[in-house]
Amino acid sequence: MSAVSNRRVEGVPLPLVLVGIAALIAFPLIFTSPTPQHILILTLLFGAMGTAWNILGGYAGQISIGHGVYFGIGAYTVGFFYANFLVSPWLTWPLALILSVAAAIVIGLPTFRLRGHYFILASVFIVDAIFIIVSNWEAVGAAIGIEYPIYREGDLAGSLWALQYHDSKLPYYYSALGLFVASVFVSWRIQFMPLSYYLRAIREDQEAAQSLGIDVTRYKLVALIISALITTLCGIFYAQYVLYIEPAATISIIISLEIAFIAILGGIGTLWGPVLGAFIIVPLTEILRQKFSGAIAPGFGSGDASLLLQLEYLLEGGGGNLDILAYGLIVMLIARFQPNGVLGFLRRLD
Amino acid sequence: MLEVRDLDVSYGDFQVVWGIDLTVGPSEVVCILGPNGAGKSSVLNAITGLAPRKASAITFGDADLLRIPTYEIARRGIAHVLERRRLFPTLTVRQNLLLGAYNPDAKRHRAETLAWVETLFPFLEDRHNSPARVLSGGQQQMVAIARGLMSRPRLLMIDEPFLGLSPLMVDEIRTVITRINADGVAILFNEQNVELALSLSHRGYLLESGRVVLTGTGEEMLGSDLVRTVYLGV
Repeated sequence: MSAVSNRRVEGVPLPLVLVGIAALIAFPLIFTSPTPQHILILTLLFGAMGTAWNILGGYAGQISIGHGVYFGIGAYTVGFFYANFLVSPWLTWPLALILSVAAAIVIGLPTFRLRGHYFILASVFIVDAIFIIVSNWEAVGAAIGIEYPIYREGDLAGSLWALQYHDSKLPYYYSALGLFVASVFVSWRIQFMPLSYYLRAIREDQEAAQSLGIDVTRYKLVALIISALITTLCGIFYAQYVLYIEPAATISIIISLEIAFIAILGGIGTLWGPVLGAFIIVPLTEILRQKFSGAIAPGFGSGDASLLLQLEYLLEGGGGNLDILAYGLIVMLIARFQPNGVLGFLRRLD
Repeated sequence: MLEVRDLDVSYGDFQVVWGIDLTVGPSEVVCILGPNGAGKSSVLNAITGLAPRKASAITFGDADLLRIPTYEIARRGIAHVLERRRLFPTLTVRQNLLLGAYNPDAKRHRAETLAWVETLFPFLEDRHNSPARVLSGGQQQMVAIARGLMSRPRLLMIDEPFLGLSPLMVDEIRTVITRINADGVAILFNEQNVELALSLSHRGYLLESGRVVLTGTGEEMLGSDLVRTVYLGV
């Protein structure tokens, strides 16, 4: 037992990590109402994406405000084929991953020549350009998006094949948890590979790295592809969860910013930073949104349409928008007082 | 071994190096001298492709360096220690060194090379777990040189090895440069202090405003009127 209790995962004792995972597994069995489950599903989803983003943005120091592209590729690929031809997402997810890698290469090769702010700007412009294209592309529903045909039979095999569950959020919850754990595991594992040293060398001094013989573009691309693949898997999950895809909720600058902020506010370049960021920001904004923007749909939690209704409310931003104000305030406070993110603050207390 | 013919370097419209010829033979120590802004660093950076360059030839052995990207030049046997050391500050001393042994050949001999650089700079072993940023300037310079050596180069290029160092450190680096050369590595370095540089070089090039104004062996250059009146003030 002491072998277990003495081990630490990036500064966090291993038993604490195991307790954390156990708590996440137990959570939906204790909190059985849909709202807390929904909040935690979003937290896990954004935790997985923030962690994936951090592989490129934190470890390699390439700040991308364009990860909505890879999120969108996941959501749109499975959504398009299911909505039009009722093809199961099980058959189309490999295609989504292939498209994601292709996009990463096409976007990465030219933009990785840019440094610092120029790289960030390029990532913003690219995601916005793709947003505009998709918003006007009739075949994928243009600005209205894709509405999923709902699988209504209710049998388990059919539900699994369609990857839709309407009786319970548990399958979604555990899928999100799986994505989250997998993403954190990949991010943790990379730290023991030579790749992580190449990435840190690139982040700290690109020219010095080059002069030592490190093929800078190649390793940036490897980091982007790993990051993009996880983000695309999250996009697939998202589409199956909300069963409604529109450009604003997938390929937008806002979503791209949210993914980046989770890692930046939690603590960029660290394993636990994006996790912490997600567990602070997502519940906080969700609660603020529900309290202050009137986003709880009437009759929420009863019947099939409730989820859709809820999402429509969420996407419309409800009435007040005080939640966005609070979000901005949090960003300002952390930027002003804790530029290393929340994790940097906790480390200082230690 | 290294041959540079008719090298121009321009940053946009601003040309800083004009038609320089330069060679370094096997196991030679060669210095590039000149005041601030003479173009010394630009010459080194142009050789490894870090500065925009035009030349009729830059070759190293049978490799055409004009056609090889920067990251591949290290594999061909040139290690370039950049100006102001440029360590990876949050990585440890050991991690910095290991990153120097990136190319496949260097990786195979990593343990052996590490032992060699740790005899050249014994403090590397004691401080192997310290982040590079906490070292003194002199120690950082030694890590930078050692990191360059980890690629097992035939030519080590050092940009301003003595910049900002205490007289004690200057002596130490000077000794080490001689020892590295004695182990068969050719060295090309930049320096403003003419006397210091020529005292440990076989040959030198004196640059002024981006042009070579004098070249020769150390003794020839120390004896020239130009060096005596302008740089040594005797």
